[in-house]
Amino acid sequence: MTTGLNTPPGVSQKLAATIGLPYTLTTGKAVGSTITALASKRLTGSYCSDCQRTNVPAQDYCVGCGGEMSLIEAADTGTITAATTTPEHTLLLVQIDGASSPLLHRLVGPAEGAVPGVRVRAVWADETKALFLDLEGFEVADSEAAASSPVDTTVDDAMKEMPYRLDLDYQHSYGPYYGRLFDELAHHRRLVGSPCPQCHQVMVPPRERCDVCFARTTRLVEVQDTGTLQAFSIVHLEFVGQTRTPPYVYAEVVLDGSSTRLIHVLGGFEIEKARDLTIGMPVRAVWKDASQAQGTLADIEYFEPVV
Amino acid sequence: MRSVAIVGTGQTDHSRRRTDVTQVGLAREAVVRALQDADLTMDDIDSVVVCTGPVLFAAVNQPEKWLADAIGARYKPVVRVTSGGGTGLAGALAAVNQVKAGIAERVLVVAYDKLSEGALQYSISTLYDPFWGREFAVGIMGFSAAYWRARMDSLGHTEEAAAMVAVKNRKNALLNPYAHVKKPVTVEDVLNSKPLCWPIKLMDVPPISDGACAVVLASEDAAKKSSRPAAWIRGMSYVSEAENAPNRSMIQSEPLTIAAQKVYKQAGITNPRRQFDVVEVQEPYTCFELSYYEGLGLCEPGGAAELIKSGATEMDGDIPVNPSGGCMGANPIGATALIRLAEIADQVRGQSGDHQIHGAQWGLMQAGGGWANLRGVAAVSSEKG
Repeated sequence: MTTGLNTPPGVSQKLAATIGLPYTLTTGKAVGSTITALASKRLTGSYCSDCQRTNVPAQDYCVGCGGEMSLIEAADTGTITAATTTPEHTLLLVQIDGASSPLLHRLVGPAEGAVPGVRVRAVWADETKALFLDLEGFEVADSEAAASSPVDTTVDDAMKEMPYRLDLDYQHSYGPYYGRLFDELAHHRRLVGSPCPQCHQVMVPPRERCDVCFARTTRLVEVQDTGTLQAFSIVHLEFVGQTRTPPYVYAEVVLDGSSTRLIHVLGGFEIEKARDLTIGMPVRAVWKDASQAQGTLADIEYFEPVV
Repeated sequence: MRSVAIVGTGQTDHSRRRTDVTQVGLAREAVVRALQDADLTMDDIDSVVVCTGPVLFAAVNQPEKWLADAIGARYKPVVRVTSGGGTGLAGALAAVNQVKAGIAERVLVVAYDKLSEGALQYSISTLYDPFWGREFAVGIMGFSAAYWRARMDSLGHTEEAAAMVAVKNRKNALLNPYAHVKKPVTVEDVLNSKPLCWPIKLMDVPPISDGACAVVLASEDAAKKSSRPAAWIRGMSYVSEAENAPNRSMIQSEPLTIAAQKVYKQAGITNPRRQFDVVEVQEPYTCFELSYYEGLGLCEPGGAAELIKSGATEMDGDIPVNPSGGCMGANPIGATALIRLAEIADQVRGQSGDHQIHGAQWGLMQAGGGWANLRGVAAVSSEKG
């Protein structure tokens, strides 16, 4: 088969992919103390005696000199320095009394009158949970500015770790080469590669230019679903995001008619005998049932040794 | 071209997990120590290079922005360099070039990773093509184990030979105050340890660490003003390749060979085995160190197993490799390459304490990422040349 690069209309243009990762973040002294103090409705800041700078909320290191800051008790009153209204909230920059720079938070209560220069006071959640939103926001309140001399403080049993999670959704565009590759895979159970017109090596997955001589490829050719085992390892490790249950065999296969490595798994034998596999042995694709085909490389269940 | 020297180094108290500091607090600890070693303050630094691994390791994008505040680097040029496992050396090369070009007199390089915070192997798997291969990826371990198995056939890098690397490096780590894993092992212990991704076994694998390293690089004029001895950069190179290109056997690392040859030419080295007094290499798993022996020309291709067996790379051998214990003592990936550079610099500065190779004047270091595709090499000397 030789084919051009026109992707037929109606073919999927994008691959939806999600990266989901759990974390345990370390908060450091300033943030840990601040969040723990919020649970008892106290606002803390930090102070650099060299720069006479006060940060609210607290930071570990001084933005001015990079020195370590000491933890201080902060006032719960301040002055609006800027305000903007979103569909959900009025967001404020509040200069806490005594602080050197403003704190970003939201307005609680009516938006009228919340303009720069107006005095505000902290509003606390009824039930605190040791989260930043224990400080619900600020409300407009007539009050005198609090005394600004920094008073050292400590927070007992300050938080040190915080669970966190990133779930990142992507839509990866196939482009003509991958589009045709996966189309052939989904509809014809064929694997295609792109031959380099200069060095005549066939690259799978197909690509616009040869990695070595950088010549532009112009066509696709079918490669076989049989090949040679170039390398393998036996996976016992369990890890987050793993798509198979250990133990299994990780494999790199060079398909007949191609010159590049294909990453997959081996199967079709007892796992206890995996160490007897030999590099260079012939392997062939074992396809999933056509009803389960999704047009991805996982439509191949595994590669099996050809005995 | 201007000469460049390392005039200060600093490392954190590396650990499996540092709960007392944030990522930037960790990096800052190394910066404070490097400046102290160089007898300088941030006021003396013209430019900063920050190095970390992939941001998914620790869930903070553009961390250099956060770090600049924490080390007092505001109003200074700050760039971040990231390049897989060799990140710290890639960053050092960027800093060396700034000094060579005459745009900075002193550059601070700080490299770190806080690996305890995220999911390591999965994060590394996101380096793979999302269309083609990622779902089968086993981080760096799956293919490293696979190609080690291939090297057994073609180069004789046996499980026993790799186990000897673990024994040597874990023994050396006992003498390094910054190593957080200090447990001597035997060849049998390694061979009998739990397979993680066979042939890689538990004791072939370094710890997962929180840690940072910082190095101060200076021009010749600036170096004269530091009181402690300098380590002069006599050669440095960092080379990539097309990993998915056709006909990749992955048996030798061409980038390593190319980087080594470039550095030897820059430094006037013709016989690395004889001319270097000490070597530091970045071994993500034991099998890598065997490959480096060959790529660096310390022995012929296929000679690594014999070299480790001969004892030549032990502390008291003729070409000691990893007197610091290498990655086996601590492995905060984004910092590891810079730790190797700091360790080799301290050797020729005579500042390596209990793991000092007596009288070391010429040092060689290697770092890199991937199984074979990103490799860097540097030569340092106590003499400017």
